[in-house]
Amino acid sequence: MTDVAIRTEKLTRRFGNLFAVDGMDLEVTAGQFFGFLGPNGAGKSTTIKMLTGLLAPSSGRVEVLGIDFATHPVEVKRQIGVVPEGMGLFERLTGTEYLRFVGRMYGLDQQTTERRAQELLEFMQLADRPKTMIVDYSHGMQKKLALAAAVIHGPRVLFLDEPFEGVDALAAGALKSLLGRMTERGVTIFLTSHVMEIVERLCSHVAIINKGRLVAQGSLQELRAGVPGDEGAQVTLERIFLSIVGQHGGPSGMESQVDELSWLT
Amino acid sequence: MADLAGPISLSEQIRLVAGLRWRMLINSLHKKNNVLDLIGMGFVSLLALLLVIGPAFAFYFAGYSLVSAGRLPWLAAPFWAIFIFWQVIPIFAAGFGSSFEFRTLLRFPFSASAFYLIGLAYGLANFPALACICWLVLMTAGATVANSSVLPIMLLVAILIILLNVTVERLIGSWLERLLARRRSREIFLGIFILLMFSMQFITPIQSQYVKKNPNPAAFGGIVKYLAPFPPSLSARVISGVVRHDSVDIAVGLSGLVGFVFIFSALLWQRYAAQYRGEEFSESPAPSRAVSLPAAGWRSIPQIIGIGRSFPGLLPPMIGPILRKEFCYLARNGFAFFLLLLPPAQMLLFSSQFGSKHPIIAGRGLNADLFFPAMMAYTVLIVMGPAYNTFAYEGRGIQTYITAPLKFSDIFAGKNLVSAAMIAFEVALCGVVLAWAIGPPSIPTLFTTIFALIFTVSGQLPIANWASLSFPRKLEFGSMRGQRNSGVSVWIMFGAQIVLAGISALVLSTARWFGNPWLPAEGFAFLAAAALGGYFASLQPLSELAEKKKEILIEALCR
Repeated sequence: MTDVAIRTEKLTRRFGNLFAVDGMDLEVTAGQFFGFLGPNGAGKSTTIKMLTGLLAPSSGRVEVLGIDFATHPVEVKRQIGVVPEGMGLFERLTGTEYLRFVGRMYGLDQQTTERRAQELLEFMQLADRPKTMIVDYSHGMQKKLALAAAVIHGPRVLFLDEPFEGVDALAAGALKSLLGRMTERGVTIFLTSHVMEIVERLCSHVAIINKGRLVAQGSLQELRAGVPGDEGAQVTLERIFLSIVGQHGGPSGMESQVDELSWLT
Repeated sequence: MADLAGPISLSEQIRLVAGLRWRMLINSLHKKNNVLDLIGMGFVSLLALLLVIGPAFAFYFAGYSLVSAGRLPWLAAPFWAIFIFWQVIPIFAAGFGSSFEFRTLLRFPFSASAFYLIGLAYGLANFPALACICWLVLMTAGATVANSSVLPIMLLVAILIILLNVTVERLIGSWLERLLARRRSREIFLGIFILLMFSMQFITPIQSQYVKKNPNPAAFGGIVKYLAPFPPSLSARVISGVVRHDSVDIAVGLSGLVGFVFIFSALLWQRYAAQYRGEEFSESPAPSRAVSLPAAGWRSIPQIIGIGRSFPGLLPPMIGPILRKEFCYLARNGFAFFLLLLPPAQMLLFSSQFGSKHPIIAGRGLNADLFFPAMMAYTVLIVMGPAYNTFAYEGRGIQTYITAPLKFSDIFAGKNLVSAAMIAFEVALCGVVLAWAIGPPSIPTLFTTIFALIFTVSGQLPIANWASLSFPRKLEFGSMRGQRNSGVSVWIMFGAQIVLAGISALVLSTARWFGNPWLPAEGFAFLAAAALGGYFASLQPLSELAEKKKEILIEALCR
């Protein structure tokens, strides 16, 4: 068994002349809660799509749990769970039907699927609307269902694209606790979020992408150590993020440009 | 404090909206699939153009001959034709129209009057409106050539008729939009609409019977007097009044027309004002207002028939859940469900007109050996359509398929199995209906038909799967506007069906040449076996193709 859960080598994705992801070398150790950060348009979603098989790389390689995605996609998909950007739900099924469908697609037997679906629906507080179709769920409810579907088969690696967006504080707290427990059991979680506080609280390791290139990667302590000045130990992830992205010509300079919008202020 | 810009003029607002639509069209052409789709639609538009040009001559000559011959009351007929075309065709064409809703412009600072006028401008910029305006212009030209003194009044009437028609059309559209905002009412409306369309097919046989019994055309004359108070008849009355110098007719006709314009404009203003104020009639995802499936004792069709649970030994394990999901979707798609009712109903209709038991046309009908296979082929033609855009209703769910540990060959196998089951069910139902209506075909014809159907269905499925991957288009449950397959996939379907029909015709004519009634059955059995082999052989390459096309699928379906 390999210690590396996710590895990319020179991973590149081009859209015409634009390099959305440019030669990314990334390594995530098994059992890590890994935060993947970047400003808007930096290439986060493109990366996660390539890591989960939703998008083919232009060049480079993706390995999950030591298995090459390009040559063994089905084997990789069996090991991973995904909450994609648009959640990927079949909206004309009920929550129960959708979880049954996903469980069976991942090869769970009927009894296990039923039991897990019921437990997950209760945990996500969706069990009281068994006959409601997903299209009639609120955004937060859809998000919780997408999370339930991503974990129903007990994945070893979980990819979450903005998983807490729209989820109420109560459910978000329970989910964070669940995800923390999963990493303790050796599950690797790869999470993207714009909310720095969430990433800082949950993730042990972080990578920052800007303009398609990986500009920082390491544990939170390692990243803090890289921040100039003597307040390294107290510096927040937001500060680290702004500092690193600003150095690489990112949009962190926006704050200083506020004065230029005098007609608005 | 931020500076606020001053209001822009109405003409500038309309220009900006027109520019927005144009920019959206141009930007959509950056995608190859959209260009191909546009080319496909271009062919359809050419046909539509022929539809405009042909009647344009008729309207010119109607205007000319009715005025020159002094048969002025008959001018009501072309006005009625224009009125009906203008009001009815937009409902038919809703599926082919743009899905852009001008109501989305409400977030911009338009005045209520600008919103109203932009709404009318949208109404003037669709195909039926442009066609009718073209016909009105030519009718005016024809009438003017016959009698130049009618030109001013024809122009005035034409303007009033255009204004009235566009107002009524927008009003009907607005009411329908409100009525159809809820999914269930949409599906009920679609059901009624389909039944209405189907009922209209019976007009010809009923009319034939009626005319036979009552050959006196004066019997229809009575209907005309009831139409007199309505705008098309009033238009004819105004023109007639001008030619005959009858000021009463002119005054009554004009005031009637203006009155109708005023009433419908007021009603439309009321509707648009409600929308402008922020009337909410879309379905809300709020849980408190959510539409739930019936709770007590409710079991879905898949639950009832146990799809996906009860025969794991018969199917690969991945296909069971796909079948179950497909049947769930079918049961919840009212429109698709109604479409399943159409073929057997059409069989009844056609057999009543052309079949041998109850023939109307020429006193004798086609015999069962010819009629039965022809109708079966027609059934397949209808029910195969959705297979050419098989992912249409998946929406964002397509991502679940792509991230799941299964091959697309499993997905296609599951979906095609459902399609084949539906086709088999429809064909069997139609077969029973036809056997009852026109009598059963001979045994060789029955076997020929069965093998020919297997051949054409399994021959089309790989092509349909390829088209579904290459030219996907998202469709919404129970919605009418913008609900059509990609233009290219429609042409691919026509092409495939023409080729397969050609092969079938070759087999049938060869058999006729040799005079052996079992030869076509043998020929089609061989072709069916080959097509089935080809189908299974195509699954793996299609699975590999899906890997390359997944971005197209996501882009088309996850919007």
